[in-house]
Amino acid sequence: MEAIVCGGGILLIVVLIVFFYLLNTARKRVTETNSLGKKQLLPVYISLADKPTSIIQGMNKLRLDVQKTEKAGDKWRWVPLMIFFAGVGLMLVDGILLLFGYFSYVFTGGGVALWIAAIVMARGLRKSDSYDFSTRYNGTRDILYTLRDDLKPGSTFLGHLDLTGSLLPTKVARTSKDAQSRETEYFRDEWLALKAKLYDGNVLRVSGIQKSKKRKSYWKRSRISGKMKSKPEKFKGTAQDLKVRIVPNPEVYKIAKTSNEFKQGLNIGKFTISQLSTEGGMISFVANSPFEDVDHENILQVLKSAYTLLQRKAA
Amino acid sequence: MSRKVIPFVVAFVLICLVMAVAALFSFGGFAKAEKFEGDVVWSQPYSTAESMKVINLMGDDNDELFIQNTGNVTIFDGSGNILFSKDYQFPKTTLGDVNGDNREDVVVYYLGDLGYSVDLIDNGQVSTLAQSLSIGNPARVAVLRFSSGPQIVLGDTSGRLLSLSLSGQPLWEYQVGGEEIRGLDDARINGQIHLSAASHDGSLAVLDQDGGVVWSTSQESLRRMRAFDFNSDGNSEILTGGEFGAFVVYSATDGSQLYTQGMGQAVSEIREVELNGEPSSREFVVGGKDGGVWAYSIQNGVVDPMWTGSLSDKVTEISGIDVNGDGTEEAVLGDDSGTVAVFTGDGSRNNLENHSTGITRIDVGRLNGERYVVIADYTNVQVNKVNFNSIPGFQYTPLIVGIIVSAAILIIAAILASIPKKPELKVSFQDKSKESLEAERRMLKESIADVERLRKSGEVTGDAYLARLKRLRADLADNEAAFKAAGFPIKVETIQCPNCGGTLELGMDKCEYCGQVLLS
Repeated sequence: MEAIVCGGGILLIVVLIVFFYLLNTARKRVTETNSLGKKQLLPVYISLADKPTSIIQGMNKLRLDVQKTEKAGDKWRWVPLMIFFAGVGLMLVDGILLLFGYFSYVFTGGGVALWIAAIVMARGLRKSDSYDFSTRYNGTRDILYTLRDDLKPGSTFLGHLDLTGSLLPTKVARTSKDAQSRETEYFRDEWLALKAKLYDGNVLRVSGIQKSKKRKSYWKRSRISGKMKSKPEKFKGTAQDLKVRIVPNPEVYKIAKTSNEFKQGLNIGKFTISQLSTEGGMISFVANSPFEDVDHENILQVLKSAYTLLQRKAA
Repeated sequence: MSRKVIPFVVAFVLICLVMAVAALFSFGGFAKAEKFEGDVVWSQPYSTAESMKVINLMGDDNDELFIQNTGNVTIFDGSGNILFSKDYQFPKTTLGDVNGDNREDVVVYYLGDLGYSVDLIDNGQVSTLAQSLSIGNPARVAVLRFSSGPQIVLGDTSGRLLSLSLSGQPLWEYQVGGEEIRGLDDARINGQIHLSAASHDGSLAVLDQDGGVVWSTSQESLRRMRAFDFNSDGNSEILTGGEFGAFVVYSATDGSQLYTQGMGQAVSEIREVELNGEPSSREFVVGGKDGGVWAYSIQNGVVDPMWTGSLSDKVTEISGIDVNGDGTEEAVLGDDSGTVAVFTGDGSRNNLENHSTGITRIDVGRLNGERYVVIADYTNVQVNKVNFNSIPGFQYTPLIVGIIVSAAILIIAAILASIPKKPELKVSFQDKSKESLEAERRMLKESIADVERLRKSGEVTGDAYLARLKRLRADLADNEAAFKAAGFPIKVETIQCPNCGGTLELGMDKCEYCGQVLLS
């Protein structure tokens, strides 16, 4: 009797797990987060070496293709659950036969086969699921769209858009240990690198860099109980750097010494100008933002402000 | 192979598998919907039956139900009315035609007023054959038709045997061990009837008509002994079940062991049941004290196990009954918890209605012209009409289920094939003009220089530096490939590590990623 109750309990748990797995497949995918509680985003890497319209069309097409795959899967999300219930129906036939005194396992076997088929299908449908695109994807596209007419005719944008994630092991720039030997990782994610030769002969280089800090998990002995305890990894913060270099066309521009609209310490949108150099015939500056995400408007605003350092030479 | 074709190929293979299994179940006879039902025709109170038989005892051409317990002998007619009933002290009974009227009589060995006695019940009339016999408490009694004439053999609880003539005169005596006689049966040797007797202490002997020993042996304590001539060669096989699980088949001729097996539990019952309907082989079923059930087939003296099953308590009775009239018998088993189960020829089990007390005896026969199963438990004797029901055509249901599953597989394959491939998430938008490729090349070299500068300044160290460098060099190699593909001249500046495949600058003599020495 105990064996029957135990076996029945295990069976019930398995059935419930299968049911909820299929139910979750049937419902619209919920937002997933990583171990640090950050929302999972679609890991996209784009090499840029083309004309603005081609890049923008390509980015739009990529988005459409991802959505098309997802929508194709969405149409059939309820089917695995329906197959599961069809399996239950088959098993009920054996139940009815049992009520009439006949013992049969044929329909139960068929029901289990349908459940397996439903799980396989659910896995297949889940593969068509995609994470959301990062806001940086659209933001970069909008930056490229905004700058499209400023580009020198016939030239291309160069660089990359790396949205594969800012906390990847390959993006650990350095590590450090504190007095308690706890290791902290410093990440440097150059998610945007863009170089463009502009219509007026200037060369513009923009780098969007996200710098993050994460303390790795470690083991610690409790002072009270003396037991070893594992402490989870901890996200210690993030910041954005916008590194820009403008090499002006010396035939058209000269660089002003000062500008009220662009100077060190000035806040522009979410950015603060932390370093500014106008030496060597080029403008180099770094703008910091303590925010994890910055809008593309802020980046464009900074670029626009930096242009106030350029003074057009008299013809 | 096309991405849209693969799901259908996989589906086809799975459908073939599913249908093959379905066909195996259908045509292999594994799928059955059968049940055995018992309807109670009549029931009478009768406690703890020790012996029971449906047989014609009253001379009216109809069978009656003979039943005996520890203090009474009763004969019921086909409707459950008592035709004969008499109380005895410690009676043991057997059936046999003692007076030669071609009808079985009841021989009762009991403790009477004048000591141990033997009565004969013929057509309801009781006559005493012998009294004041020098033998102990009754354990077993048997009527044996020796070649010299029938004898009544009595066995007592101390292992003593006493043979009587049909007129009640003692013929011979013999001592089998020192404990209760547990088996008294007729065994044939070269077609001649002999007596096989076994006592609880494990002693076993085969005696001739004069009480002379043909052979004797001893084994572990015995619970059950029965003799059958399985292959009808005129020589019987003697089956014994031990207190500690030894199941042994002896040859009645010389006592040699034909088969032996440890059952893991005491053997409580052994009966012959024609399980496969094949006349050339004989089958018997063994029941264990812990509910074990084993079926064997014996052919040409070779014993083969057929199947095993189980009940929840001690198997108290086994009976062979052709319930569904297909020419093969089903084994009907009763256990000490009141369960009555029908085991078919392939060992599948179907339960009849449970009894509230343990089963003591089961028999089958015709009462009032109908074939009934009679079941006696600790309190009642019950006459049942056992019916066999099956759903016609059920054997083909695996094929139907297989078709349903196959249809589901096909639908799933069609749906999965209709979902487009997930797009590649590492993409490159590249203009193929010479100017664009040159600009990209410059940009990549600037980026490599940037990474080197970051490393020197300590901003980027270790793996991150190498990972970034590796990616940029790979892009540089792609750029070179694009130059070549477009037919533009290009000075190649990258090589591939033959070990890890990482892109390196031309002229390097060691791979920065894996440490491989390069000989280029």
